[in-house]
Amino acid sequence: MTPLSFRSPPPWVSRALVILLLLVLWEILGRMGSQLFFSPLSMVATSGVTIFADREVLEALRTTAWILAIGFGLSVCIGLVLGLAVAMSRFTYQTFLPVLLLLYAIPQITVLPIFVLYFGSGPASKIAFGVSHGLFPIAVSVVAGVQGIKPLLVTSAISMGATRWQIFRRITLPYLAPSLFTGMRLASTATLLGVLLAELYVSSGGVGHFTRRFGESFQPDKLYALIAALSLMAILINETMRMLERRFSRWT
Amino acid sequence: MTNETGRGAMAETLIKVEDVSHVFPAPDGGGEVIALEGIDIEIGRGEMVSLIGPSGCGKSTLLNVIGGMIAPSQGAALIGGARVRGPRPKEVAYIFQESALLPWATILDNIKVSLEFQKAPRATRDQVAREALKAVGLDAFATSYPHQLSGGMKQRAALARALSLRTDVLLMDEPFAALDEQTRMIFSEDLSRLLANERKTILLVTHSLAEAVFLSDRIFVFTSRPGRIKAVLEVDEPHPRSPAFMTSPKFNDLRNRLYELLRDEVLAAIGKDRQGLA
Ligand SMILES: Nc1ncnc2c1ncn2[C@@H]1O[C@H](COP(=O)(O)OP(=O)(O)O)[C@@H](O)[C@H]1O
Ligand SMILES: [Mg+2]
Repeated sequence: MTPLSFRSPPPWVSRALVILLLLVLWEILGRMGSQLFFSPLSMVATSGVTIFADREVLEALRTTAWILAIGFGLSVCIGLVLGLAVAMSRFTYQTFLPVLLLLYAIPQITVLPIFVLYFGSGPASKIAFGVSHGLFPIAVSVVAGVQGIKPLLVTSAISMGATRWQIFRRITLPYLAPSLFTGMRLASTATLLGVLLAELYVSSGGVGHFTRRFGESFQPDKLYALIAALSLMAILINETMRMLERRFSRWT
Repeated sequence: MTNETGRGAMAETLIKVEDVSHVFPAPDGGGEVIALEGIDIEIGRGEMVSLIGPSGCGKSTLLNVIGGMIAPSQGAALIGGARVRGPRPKEVAYIFQESALLPWATILDNIKVSLEFQKAPRATRDQVAREALKAVGLDAFATSYPHQLSGGMKQRAALARALSLRTDVLLMDEPFAALDEQTRMIFSEDLSRLLANERKTILLVTHSLAEAVFLSDRIFVFTSRPGRIKAVLEVDEPHPRSPAFMTSPKFNDLRNRLYELLRDEVLAAIGKDRQGLA
């Protein structure tokens, strides 16, 4: 009485196989085409070792990392305050949410030159452009989170004598936590994008500067090694946020 | 105190509603909705009172006026002789149709947070919360989360929370409405026992005739909107009331009278809604 007994392998096996296949494909394609634009995996790996021994590149990674950290921190603070302000009342919600969504929808790359004009070519413009990317996902998730709070919980708290601060601390914040972390996850990648775009455009330092340099000087092996490092950074941040998100949404 | 149960006409007046009317702006913006009109009632300390009437006749509004959550357009509510001007967390506790428990906190923490809202002394909160859970038979579920409990248990938790606040007055707005019939019956019996033990003054909004008769000392029957008090029925039966009371001729007689009183009002309310639709 056994049903058709095709047992699919556990998911991590199939996933590992797909990744392996892609890496092999990478190696084959890299050896086939022009090595001016693309490098096989083996070369990228060896250049990886050399460029990460390079002091300049390490310096660039460090610069990008702290710019990203500051940009992300600012995105969270400003986005949270902005989101709370918009969600504060029906009036502010109806007035400001459309504006927020409109700003979010603008392809921000078009205003990058203005950021550089205003903030200069130093770290400030990169931080600012990162924040302009990270801010909106956070603000929008915070607004959505606050909208989801059951009014009865607040009514009940008021009947028991809760102050405004207690309502914020005991109801709004915990209710918000899952959507805040979702917003932070989206914002972390968005901020990274903003910072890298600004670094590419201004090209005075940081990882973005080196991706441009390696690209323009036809050193694809180094370029891809750098991209791999960046991807690793993004994945790490993303997974940390996902863990936090899960930790704070166990009750949902 | 000659009355054995400490209830009825002998008790001192605790809650007074003086000529209360309330008008809401209509939801569509134009005009207004008269929710309550000229309500005058007195409720004795330790009395159990039910409010019954068609949907939308203003029962919740009256409860909220007494609880200080709504300032009436006219008239006033008084508790212990003092005019109600806002929430009275030390004197009034609510139980709503839904349990209104914080989903991310355990049952015990929910009660402790409520005690924090009420500004109860920090040192005693844990003990008070645990005692309240014990009183409703939920002590084994102190560390459970609301979503792990059944609907009936959640309402029990809400009852425990209300008890932990140690208020004189309990306002219950259709607390059993979302529960199934059997759970409601058990809950009612528990409540009747609780009434016999504690001198709580309770206002209960309910749609169930049987519940109103089984639990109340007095039943206020409301007219359809604008809500006025159409009749008051007395149920002269000591607490705790046994399930046998529910099958007695006295119970049936009262319930039939209640039904007669309500039928016309419910029909009138339905008629008004139909006109509103046309
Ligand atoms: N906040 C409000 N704004 C406008 N109208 C309301 C509001 N609350 C209640 N009402 C209206 O007042 C009337 C009485 O409501 P309510 O007291 O909730 O009735 P009940 O509890 O008896 O069903 C209803 O017609 C309802 O639509
Ligand atoms: Mg109601």
